[in-house]
This record gives sequence, structure tokens and C-alpha cells, in this order.
Amino acid sequence: MNDSSASREPGAQGQDSDRNGPAQSPLMAVVNLFSSLRLAMSLLVMLAILTLLGTLAQQSMGLLDAQKKYFESWYLVHSFGSVPVPLPGGRLVMTLLTVNILVGGLARLRKGPRMAGIMITHIGIVVLIVSGAVKTWFAVDGHVTLYEGEEAAHFQSFYDPELSISRVIGDGEVEEFTIPSTAFDLATGAEPVVLSDERLPFDIEVSYYASNVMAQRKGPMFEVPTPVVGGMFLAALPRAKEAEGNAAGAYITTVDKSTRERTSDLAWGMSAPGFEPGPFTVHAEGGPWLVDLRKERYSMPFTLRLDDFQKREHPRTNMPSWFSSDVTLDEAGAEREVQISMNKPLRDQGLVVFQASWGPQGARPGTDLFSTFQVVRNPSDKWPLWSCIIIATGMLQHFLSKLWRHIGGELKRARA
Amino acid sequence: MKIRTFALLVSLLLAVLSSPAQATQEEDHSGHDHAPGMHGVPQSETAANWPESVVHQFELLAVQDGGRVKPLYTFGSFALLRMNAKRSVKLYEDTDAERKIGSSVWLLDLMVHPGIASTYENFSVSDPEVIEAMGLSVPGKKARDRYSFNELRPGLVKLEELKQQYGKIDPKVRTGLQSQVVDLYQNALSFTDLAGHFDFAGVQIPITGSTALQEFFPGREAVRFSEVLRRLPELKQLYVVLGGTPGAEAQAQEIERVLGFAETLAIRTQRVALIPPLGSADDAPAWLTPFDLFDRAWDGQPVAPEHLAAVQQMETLIDAAQNPAAFEAALGALTGTLKELASPRGESGKVASEVGFYNAKLLWKGLYSFILAFVVTSVMWLVPKNRLVYRAAIALTVIGTAFLIGAIVWRCILRGRPPVSTLYETILFITAVGCTVALVTEWIGRRRIALSAAAFLGMGGVFLANRYEWFDKQDTMPSLMAVLDTNFWLATHVTSITVGYAAGMLAALLGSIFLIAKVLRLKREDKGFYTALTRMTYGVLAFGLIFSIVGTILGGIWANDSWGRFWGWDPKENGALLICLAQIAILHGRMSGFLRAYGIAMAAAFQGTVVAFSWWGVNLLGVGLHSYGFTSGIKTVLLGYYIVQWGIVALGSVAWLIERAEKRAIAEAKSSSQAGGSASLVPSDLA
Repeated sequence: MNDSSASREPGAQGQDSDRNGPAQSPLMAVVNLFSSLRLAMSLLVMLAILTLLGTLAQQSMGLLDAQKKYFESWYLVHSFGSVPVPLPGGRLVMTLLTVNILVGGLARLRKGPRMAGIMITHIGIVVLIVSGAVKTWFAVDGHVTLYEGEEAAHFQSFYDPELSISRVIGDGEVEEFTIPSTAFDLATGAEPVVLSDERLPFDIEVSYYASNVMAQRKGPMFEVPTPVVGGMFLAALPRAKEAEGNAAGAYITTVDKSTRERTSDLAWGMSAPGFEPGPFTVHAEGGPWLVDLRKERYSMPFTLRLDDFQKREHPRTNMPSWFSSDVTLDEAGAEREVQISMNKPLRDQGLVVFQASWGPQGARPGTDLFSTFQVVRNPSDKWPLWSCIIIATGMLQHFLSKLWRHIGGELKRARA
Repeated sequence: MKIRTFALLVSLLLAVLSSPAQATQEEDHSGHDHAPGMHGVPQSETAANWPESVVHQFELLAVQDGGRVKPLYTFGSFALLRMNAKRSVKLYEDTDAERKIGSSVWLLDLMVHPGIASTYENFSVSDPEVIEAMGLSVPGKKARDRYSFNELRPGLVKLEELKQQYGKIDPKVRTGLQSQVVDLYQNALSFTDLAGHFDFAGVQIPITGSTALQEFFPGREAVRFSEVLRRLPELKQLYVVLGGTPGAEAQAQEIERVLGFAETLAIRTQRVALIPPLGSADDAPAWLTPFDLFDRAWDGQPVAPEHLAAVQQMETLIDAAQNPAAFEAALGALTGTLKELASPRGESGKVASEVGFYNAKLLWKGLYSFILAFVVTSVMWLVPKNRLVYRAAIALTVIGTAFLIGAIVWRCILRGRPPVSTLYETILFITAVGCTVALVTEWIGRRRIALSAAAFLGMGGVFLANRYEWFDKQDTMPSLMAVLDTNFWLATHVTSITVGYAAGMLAALLGSIFLIAKVLRLKREDKGFYTALTRMTYGVLAFGLIFSIVGTILGGIWANDSWGRFWGWDPKENGALLICLAQIAILHGRMSGFLRAYGIAMAAAFQGTVVAFSWWGVNLLGVGLHSYGFTSGIKTVLLGYYIVQWGIVALGSVAWLIERAEKRAIAEAKSSSQAGGSASLVPSDLA
């Protein structure tokens, strides 16, 4: 696509300039490759392709699964019709892009007033990428749902299940052990995964784990491939399109370390009419112990109590115009009243609490309503704002100075 | 010569294409436009030749609808647009003449003289199978035609049955017939609601069947709705007492009948809330209908004297329906009462301004200006040295842009919002920004290219906005969902991102002009033409990139404040990212020397489809948090744009390959000529 009528950017092309020069050392060749503008362009195009494919895939596989496949992967295989095509994953492309910006866009960028704007812009982009990485690796998010008068000191993941083993150790204090699902999510068949901890008086065997199940009553007219406990069994379902709709389930057997007594039950992360799995009880040393499969929980540094939930609709419509929650924060006995509403979250001790939704759906006037808060702990919460300011500053400096020079030239030409 | 012929052809084609569409949509509420009749259909008669002053007073009445207070003008015009696919109705007064009435006259007739309005052919049916499905056969109709309520009436029961059946089907998978059946049912329902609104005001409720009622209303044989309303708590008490009194059950039943009748009349008023409540807009946001007053009175809340006066004035209004002077006086009294109720709440101030906005027809004037500007810019290329034509083209484009910006500013004032909060407004704003940027580019370069682009963009943008409004048929100033109710983020994120869209679309247009000119081998002798186009494309892309990146990050910051995450790979977010990536890639390609004039033009033209995908395409996916806004009618336009842009890029690639081959041939010919002194085999104009 070369054509003589367009000029190259002065000062920025040093990275590509030595392709025809003298022989390079291997190290310089690598540095040149990673600082190349053409690599930048290729990676940008690749990221755009992944973004497009990942967007279109959301129609069939839902957001979370598409996100994992296209944007949080090192590589992937995308099927164009029936033709599978291997592609670099979003994580790989973004990592290379970051290296490219650091090496080519900062370290090797020709320094000078004319390139100052580009330098600043690249710094802003690096800050943005770093904030995304920090969010990916260190942030946790979930939700807490409360009716008026209820309170909670923890929030719950939207997606990830965990196994909880707990007991009361006096004065209402609870001792709890949690095991993330990554420790047993391969136990999808009859062969159990055994979980053992020296602090527990029993071992735990997990089998027939599935990420989305429905507890059903076993009827006399059909057989099921999984164990039946108390007349119920867990029927595996396809993964829900929207991942928060998945309810994991598994068969749990505890084996007492001293007596070898076995206690079996099924655990399912969602209740159903006529079937409340909840935690099941294991009688063992130091017990009784409660074993539960549920969505992962995170503690909050305060207790959140919902005092009042209010919603308003646009008059004579069903369209909500505003909703808010008056809450009380109990921080070690010190209480503080706060209102959380749309676009006005609560920020406290590294946690951000958002007004997410309310329910139940189709509630009639007078029905008790619950308020759902999204809770996020993200160390890089405000970094994107800083990056936005840096990028805007850099781009404005660069393009305005170019525009100024261009206008000057054009006006001179027009006068001539 | 080629460029002249091409410019003329395109301008004439666009002018011809634009006119009929405009003619079908433009409203006319004067009601005095006569034209020869085309239909051999039953004649209608109008209820009255309403004086202009009555129509104006009526359309200025405020109504609360869709969550906001608006003039009846707006209410009526969109109601008619939904039913009739245009904002006017043709009436056939005799076999040779037809008369066109606007939406306000239509609404006035419908609410005051519903019997006569039932003869108006105001139901547009584009699929004759709908009529067949209703079991109807109306002689003299074309396949796509308009029907009156009276013509549809025999099939309404069947229509309701079909609606019950099709209404259960997800709207996204309904067939065209099913969608039209559901729409026609909704329109018929809306028509009957509006037609029955003032039934309560025109009916006398007989009370002769009960001596108790005659004692309650001494000397009366029938009572008005307002009288029942005023004394409803007492009547209810009387009903309870008589119901518990042995031997008085018949009297109680008669009271029950009267109350039931009054309630039935009141129920039909629910669609049009004309009565502002007492108190502030925060404490009592919902406006009232006679039904609401009845309902409250039934629950023991006395009717406020102001509200009772309004209901009585509505009765006086309907009593005077056959007497224009008395009607106008009654309408004036009602208007005064309702205004007095609305003013302290701060809800009547913008009603007149909104009617003024629609009557000013700024967008139509803008469209006319842009069409003229486009024709003149085409002529400008025929006579490139004529400064008068150039100045006329600039003036018309500036006037068109000024009308457009005026319309946007007026809308901002009416809504109390930044310029963009709906998909419809994105079209207006993007067009205005695109035209402004193009005009500034023209001012800098003065090469006529950006001026032509501005005229084309303005014409296309306003035309698209009108088509969108026509497809959607909903109020273009709707109430906003809770998350959008923030002027700060609308003013920052949404405005920035749409400026980015505008620049992206303009850059695509400039790139397309480059490629089309190359394909048609225009301006081959003028090297500065292509250099200037490339610079413009680059400049507009750079301008757009700033806004695209800043807008995208601001969107993330807003999402972080609203939903708790900066980035969620939501389709709309991805669309914005795609624009940024495309524009950054082009600028990096230019920097690296990989993309030069041809490449930048091709990439910019392709990038237009990326912008279109982000702007409209992702909404068609039906997933994600941003899937709001009407898009169903835009799919064809969008696909058409993709095909055109990709076609231009493909043709541009061919032109580039040919040009490259020719250059090589010239170079080879030159070198062989220098070596052997032989004659060139290449035509001289390629050299």
C-alpha cells in the first residue's frame, strides 16, 4: 500500500529503519522486532480480530465464556464454519503489545519535543494496561443481596463455587475452612478427589462434580447414572449462557479419620422448592461440622445493613428512573449511615459497593423488595482515570501541535 | 468531463430519492391543502373546520406520557405516525378532491368527534394478508393501503384473537405478518382509547331507576360524571347503607349500576393524563386522569376543587363541540385551569417551546439546505473557477449545519440534557459534528473536497435521522433509564464517543472519495488533490482518535462507577475498542510507512464499517448491557453501508494494483527507452 504522496511521521520510525542496515546482533534483532511499528500494527489488527470474534461469540456462548476464550487466553482455536483455526489469545496479544509499547513506544522512541505527546500517550496506555492487569490478578468482585433490616459482613462471588466446612466454637464464633473449586473440579466421575486437612477430623471425598446441575427427585420409572441420596439426585445441565446462572453440585462423602465412618450427601449451590440442600451436618470430633458447596465468599471490613430501599419510576410508566439504598455501615461498633444509588457507589477501606439491582422481578405494590449490591475490591480502582488524563494530554499535545503547523502551512499556501 | 458527469448524476439521483421520502413524512396541520383525489374509496367528512386558534390551543395542552410532560401536539403526532406511518391523514370530501389534515386536527377530531374520525383512513396496513387474516375484504383497496376504523371494525374480534396468539411469540422471532397483526391491534386499541377519552364528559348517567338517587340528586333525571365524582364518598356510603337495609337492595343495585357506569366511563380516560396533581413534582410526580380522580374518591380522598373544575370544564368543552365559538371559549377555560395547576410544579414552561420546535421544522430546513448544497457542490466541480458557486455551496452547507445545530441546541434546552442521550440523537449529533469538522477542514485547505463531503454527510445524516424516526415511531425525547440519568457522564463519555464516531465516519467518507476518484480516474493531473485528501483523512482520523480513546476510557470510568467494573468486554465496549484499535492501527501504519495514500484511504474507508458496527451493529446482537435503543429497522441500511464500503475498498484495491502495474510499465518503458531509444508503449496521460 505504499504510495509516494503520503509522508511518514518524522521521528517515530527509528524502530523500522535499520532493516536494511548492517548485520544486527541477535539481541538487537529481537529488540528491533519487539519495538517494530509493524509489529504494533499487526498486534493491533490481531486484537481487533479477537475483539470482533469475542463479541460475536457472546451471542451463542455468553459473555463470561467468550471473555475467557478470546480475551483471557494465551491461544485459542476458533471455528470459521467447520474450519478450526488456531489463533493467539487475547492475553498473549496484549502482553506482546505491552512489550511493544515499552520497548518501541517508550524506550526506543526518538526523544524530543515533537515526540513528547506520543511519549506521554504511551505512558498513559501503559498505566491503563497495568491497571487492567492489576484488576485481573488482584481484584475480587461479587454481590450481596439484602432485604430491609438484613445485614451482611461478606459478599459472594457471581461465578466461582467453593466448599465450606465450618463449626461453632463458642460465643457464636464460627471457625471455617474453605476449599476453592479448582481443588476438586476435575472430580466429574465416580472416582473421587480426596481433600484432606490436618485441622479437620475427617477427609472429604468429592465425586460427580458438575459446574451446573439441577437437583431432582428420583422417580421409580427411570434410572440415573449418579448416586441417589434421600431420594434426590443431581442432574447435570449444560453451562448457562450467562455464567452467574450456573449452580455447581457434587456428591460429598466425609470419612472420619478415627472411626472411618462415612457420611454421604449431595451438595448443590442453589435451593429449589421442596429441596433445600444447604449445608449438611457431619458429626465428628469437635463438631458438629457443616459442609456446604456455595459461591465463593469474601469478608468485608464492615457490616452492611440495609435500612431502607427506595425506587422511583418515571411517572405513569414501569421504567425505573432512580433507585437507592440507605445503609448503615458498622465498622467495629462505629456506625455510619450512607446512601448508595445508581452512579453513586460507596467507597470504603478499599471496597466499592454499587447499587446493582433490586427485586423480586414483577413485585406488586406492597411487596417486600430486596436490594442487590455489587461489591468490588480493586487496587487499581482509580488508575484508569489517571491514564485517561495522561492519554488525553499526550494526544492533545501531539495532534494540536501538528494541526497548528498544518494550518500555518495551508494558510500560507492559500495566501500564495 | 468524467467528474462533471458523475457529480451531476449523483446529485440528481440523491435529490430525486430524497424528495418523496420527505413528502411522505412531512406533517401539515393547517388542514387546507387540497389535491386531486386518487382513490375510489368511501368519502369521509370532517367534524369541523377547526379555526387555527382552536387547533393551536388544543395542541398546546400538556399531557404526561411516557414519563414526561409534553404537548398534545407531540402526543398526537407520534400516535398518528404509529397508526398511519405518516403525520397527516387524507380525507376524501368528494370523488375528485382530497383534503389533508395534520396530527393535531386528527387528534382533536378523534377525541371530540370520534364517530366521524372513525371514517378516516388512518390505519396503514402494508401487508394485505393482515386484512385477510382478520376475515375482511374491503373492495377498492390496493395491496398496501390505509383503512378506517369503521372498515376494520368487523374484523376486530378476530384481530384480538390473533394478537393473543402472536403476542406470546418473542418479538425477535415474529414473522412480518405476526408483527403487523400485533402492531395493528395496539393501534386499534390506542384509537379506541383516544376516541373514548371524553365519553365521560358527554354522557348523562340516568338515575330514574332509583328514588334514593333522585332524592340524592333532587330534581334530576340524569347526572354528569363530575357530579358523581364530587359526591362519590357520599354515594358510596349510601350504597353501603342501602345494601344493608332489608328491602332496599334494589335501590343499592341501582346505585351500584350508576357507579359502575361512571367507573366504566372513567376507565377509558387512562391513556391521556391531562390533569396535574396538587403539590410538587417530586412529591406527586404522576399526572391524573378522571379515572385516577374517581379511584381516589372511591378510596375516600376528596376531589380537589381545582380538579373538579377541570373535569367540569371538559364536560363544558364536549357540550360545545358543535359550536366553534363556545368550544374555543371552553377550551380556553380548561387550558387556563390546567396551566394554573402545572405552573407551580414547573411543568408547563417548555410545552409551548416544544410545539415551536416541531413547527419550526429546523431539521427539514436543514435537509433542504444540504440537498441544495450538495447540488451546488456538484455544479461547483463543473465550474471550478467560479467563486460565486463555491461561496453559494459554502453558504448553503453552513446554513444546513446551522439549522442542524439549532435543532440540537433546542432539543438540549427542552430536555435539559446534553446533546446525546438516545440513538436518534447520535445521528443528529454525529452529522452536525461531521459537517462542522468538514467545514473547518475546508476552511483550512480550501480544496472543495471537504465542502462536498460536508454537504453529502449533512444530507445523508439528516435523511437517516428522519428515516430512523419514521421506523421507530416513538417520541424522540423519551425518559431515560436509571443508569443514563446522569448529565455528567452523558456530557463527557457519550459526547466524546459520538464525536469520535463522527470523525470516523467523515474519515471513511474522505477515504471513499479518494478511492472512488482513483477508480474513476478523476483528477489524474492534479496531484495536490490526492495529497490533500490523504492529509484531510489523516487529520480527521487523528481528531477522531483523541475523542474515541478519551470517550472509551471515560465510558470505562462510568461503568466502574455504575456497575463496578471498568471493562467487561460488553459488545458496546468492544465496539468502541474496535474503533480505537482501527484508528490507532491506521496511524501506526502511516507512521511506519506501511500505509501511504492508497492504504490510508482504504483503511479509513474500511474503518467506517467498524464505526458503523460499533454505532449500530452491536445493538443488533441483542446481548450486553448496552442493548437499548431501537435498531430493527436499521439492519438493512447497515448491511447496505457495509457492502458499499467494502465494495469501495475492493475497487480501490483493484485501482491500486492497476496503477502500480502501470507505473512499473512506465518505469520499464522509460528505462528501455533510455537504453535503446525506443518509443513508449504507455499512454502519455499515465506518465
